[in-house]
Amino acid sequence: MSKTVTLTIDGKQVTVPEGTLIVDAAKKIGVDIPVFCYHPKMQPVGMCRMCLVEVGRPVVDRATGQVVKNEDGTPQIRFAPNLMTACTTPVSEGMVVLTESEKAHDGHRAIIEFLLTSHPLDCPICDKGGECPLQELTMRHGPPQGRFPYEDKIHFEKHFPLGELIYLDRERCILCGRCIRYQAEIVGEPVIGFYQRGRATEIVTYSDPGFDSYFSGNTTDICPVGALTTADFRFGARAWELKAEASICAQCPVGCNIVFNTRREAKSGGRVVIKRVMPRQNEEVNELWICDKGRFVHHYTHSAERLSRPLMRKGETLQPVSWEDALRTAAEKFEAAGKEVLVLASGRLSNEDLFNLKALADGLGGRAVLYGDMGGGDLTTLVGVGQGTNLATLGAGDAILVIASDLQEEAPIWWLRVKQAAERGATLIVANPRATKLDTYASFVIRYANGDEVQTVLNLAKKTDKIGQAFAEAENAVVFFGSEGLGLEGSQRLAVACAHLLRETGHVGKPNNGLIGVWQRANDQGAWELGFEPVADLQAAFEQAGAVYIVGADPFGDGRLTLDGVKERPFLVVQEILPTPTTEVADLVLPAQAYAEREGTYVSGERRVQRFYAALPPYGEARPDFAITAAIGKRLGLDLEDGSAEKVFERLAVTQPAFENLTYARLAEVREQWPIVGRGDLYYGGTAYENRRGLGVQLVPAAQREEPVTLPEVQGEAGPRPEEDEWLGVPVTRLLDRGTTVLLSTLLHRRIGEPFVVVHPMAAERLSLAEGQKARLTVNGASAEVTVRVDETVSAGVVLVPRSMGLPLYEPMKVSLKAL
Amino acid sequence: MSLAEKYPQEVERILAKYPPEHKRSAVMPLLYLAQREEGYITKAAMQDVAQLLEMTETEVAAIIGFYTLYHDKKEGKYRMQVCTDLPCALRGADQFLEELCENLGIQVGETTADGLITLEEVKCLAACDKAPMFQLQSGEGIEYYENMTVDKTMELIEALRKAGKEVE
Ligand code: SF4
Ligand code: SF4
Ligand code: FES
Ligand code: FES
Repeated sequence: MSKTVTLTIDGKQVTVPEGTLIVDAAKKIGVDIPVFCYHPKMQPVGMCRMCLVEVGRPVVDRATGQVVKNEDGTPQIRFAPNLMTACTTPVSEGMVVLTESEKAHDGHRAIIEFLLTSHPLDCPICDKGGECPLQELTMRHGPPQGRFPYEDKIHFEKHFPLGELIYLDRERCILCGRCIRYQAEIVGEPVIGFYQRGRATEIVTYSDPGFDSYFSGNTTDICPVGALTTADFRFGARAWELKAEASICAQCPVGCNIVFNTRREAKSGGRVVIKRVMPRQNEEVNELWICDKGRFVHHYTHSAERLSRPLMRKGETLQPVSWEDALRTAAEKFEAAGKEVLVLASGRLSNEDLFNLKALADGLGGRAVLYGDMGGGDLTTLVGVGQGTNLATLGAGDAILVIASDLQEEAPIWWLRVKQAAERGATLIVANPRATKLDTYASFVIRYANGDEVQTVLNLAKKTDKIGQAFAEAENAVVFFGSEGLGLEGSQRLAVACAHLLRETGHVGKPNNGLIGVWQRANDQGAWELGFEPVADLQAAFEQAGAVYIVGADPFGDGRLTLDGVKERPFLVVQEILPTPTTEVADLVLPAQAYAEREGTYVSGERRVQRFYAALPPYGEARPDFAITAAIGKRLGLDLEDGSAEKVFERLAVTQPAFENLTYARLAEVREQWPIVGRGDLYYGGTAYENRRGLGVQLVPAAQREEPVTLPEVQGEAGPRPEEDEWLGVPVTRLLDRGTTVLLSTLLHRRIGEPFVVVHPMAAERLSLAEGQKARLTVNGASAEVTVRVDETVSAGVVLVPRSMGLPLYEPMKVSLKAL
Repeated sequence: MSLAEKYPQEVERILAKYPPEHKRSAVMPLLYLAQREEGYITKAAMQDVAQLLEMTETEVAAIIGFYTLYHDKKEGKYRMQVCTDLPCALRGADQFLEELCENLGIQVGETTADGLITLEEVKCLAACDKAPMFQLQSGEGIEYYENMTVDKTMELIEALRKAGKEVE
């Protein structure tokens, strides 16, 4: 235990660890000292002087070293002649702090008066109005009138785009530096900075595109004025008109806790729509942050293209039908197919949906298949990270291995937290065939050749080099494995090798130890927990089926399934929220509610079960997935729960050992978190929401339940290798791709860019291609036009192909690339 | 041509002064080097410096912006920086500057039509007892001119103009 210090703030006593800053000690006992530049997640800089307080310390007799007492026995306190900044002054024993004294108030008033000398005070048209620290502190501490001539106000540009996502109002900026320090200190991407000095100082960006960072939106939450706003929300609504409902980001396996801010508006035809997505504090998951994908990819929920009614094929076209007809038809076809029913569902669905889908498949004796190209979920259920895991507590003495994953692109907030663990001293091993942004923070970078994935892990397990030793000797160790360069089988084999490594080095079955899958979808882990698994040959499975029920997946759009050459096509039921190439070829289309319209739970990659709530009213006739499945099941005489998501979860919890004792109520429990945000004051932590609707519960992996864990044997090679005179196309994940949901956020189009491929400069030369040139990529007979990029860390013989960019490549495959 | 191609030896010499893990400390001397030829730091030169030191362009730009002796725009070949701080003002610097402006037909902050002189007003240059004074900044370095009159200054400018023409 570190030493503690007891002090008095505004007459209240508080005991805090030595080294705590006055401002934080005060926050702990509910005293809100006004701040602008200070943020509890960043180093104090003392730039704005807003936090001035009176500080007194006990008088100590130099001769005796004793505290001098007053007549009444209380210690004599001597106050410093000047006010001090509470954000840079650490507490000391017996200290007395006054935050509301006349003198402190004078200080606050003066600072506000100075800040306002050039502030436009255009609160009525400012997006921050209503939740603005400057507005709030001006009302509380500001002088009734400024003494500076109004004409002396300096005018700056007001609608300056720092990029397409973030706008800067130069007049409103109070130069607190929070945004710049956030990018430099927390994200490590200093792409915005101060330019000039004194009153001419302004924020600039020189990156291309401007403000080039996946975390840029967070600066708008911590900016204490309306200087930084998102292009998405600016002039969109007033803060006080917005409703807030808790949810979970569904864009990646991190499972960031978020809030949907919604409003009913004329502009949207009187519908309630999402106006913005805000982070919701969960210190064990996303702290106060979310990435820009999570923040901006919400427009699909109110896309005019949403499916609103069931559709049935009549010849060439799909015609609206009643739910009754649709459900009856589905049930009839499924009944007829019996054991030949194939349920193909994705990790986009909630546990409740997947549970009912699995029950339907089981009830008919059919097959339930997970849509995706990554294996290893059976291993994360066995040796996944133990309950109580919190990446924020990994540091010196611990180790993290990230293999076959570009973490920033695939799971940005994990990237951030792994980076921070490395900065706290954790040994970070990054193993990937090419350079990724995480390399900068790695203690060891392993650059293996495609195909050497399993071997790389086995080498670590030998403990013969210092990397293997560092991993083995670490107090705690976590492995993130992905699927870069690997197909289903390859990633499965990699997961097995990683599981062995963890077990052999004693890193399973306890908190902060175990395996994490960097999945392609938010709830892939949940799907594995509930017994879904992907298949190697999806096309064969499809062709053999009598009826196929595709839910939340677009295999025809992704090039995973085709009707070409299929003689006898199975009856195809597709349950979706938006039209896709898959719904186009369906016989029956069932409109599902977007997850923001209903309740449910997801299991994150760290195996945390988290609840999301209904933020929007249902769209058209769309229904929740679990309810549609249950309704079909009922017509088949199966006992499926259709009452509410909670009821489905109750059943799930009694049948699935990993979910034992979990209830919606338990998932909704909260504890006090530090820093305290989102309560009475928004100046301290920013506009991130306090978590009032649940921190979630981590599942206990088999290894932690002390059940015997049998791991499959390690098998040979994982991914394929490039052959002589051939090009191996390797799919890689990009955060912003051309997925249906992403594309509907037009704001992101420039960031998504055109389809491209990446090759080694020498490979480019051999193909007579140069950076930026157009080329034709051919895979399996399908082809697309791409722009060539070069990267000297890509292996020779390999062509990196981003997933979901309209190129039909989902596992390493032979490709050809020709200049246009 | 990149900075390292243009001045290979100098770049190497500057980089050698700092331990590799602190190479970003070389940003100031490299920026001076980058400014030498054109009298200001071009966007391309800024990118070069960023790349050499593994900094973002924004970080390099922030330094250019902060220090008044780095310039980000093409201006006069010579910057005439006249001190008008209090001691100089007491010795007539204000009036000197005003008359100089009239003679040159430009305002403070502007550049003569031929691109030779940019006139600037600065704070104390530590030659207070020799005012009116200014420093002349160019790619060749900085020179002080003390105890100046407008006539002497105009002569100097004429000489600079001629010298420039001869070189061309
Ligand atoms: S833009 Fe906002 S966060 Fe950034 S320095 Fe200005 S006031 Fe502070
Ligand atoms: S990191 Fe993942 S879960 Fe978090 S906001 Fe981004 S996409 Fe969503
Ligand atoms: S100086 Fe303390 S909050 Fe800015
Ligand atoms: S005041 Fe002009 S040089 Fe000192």
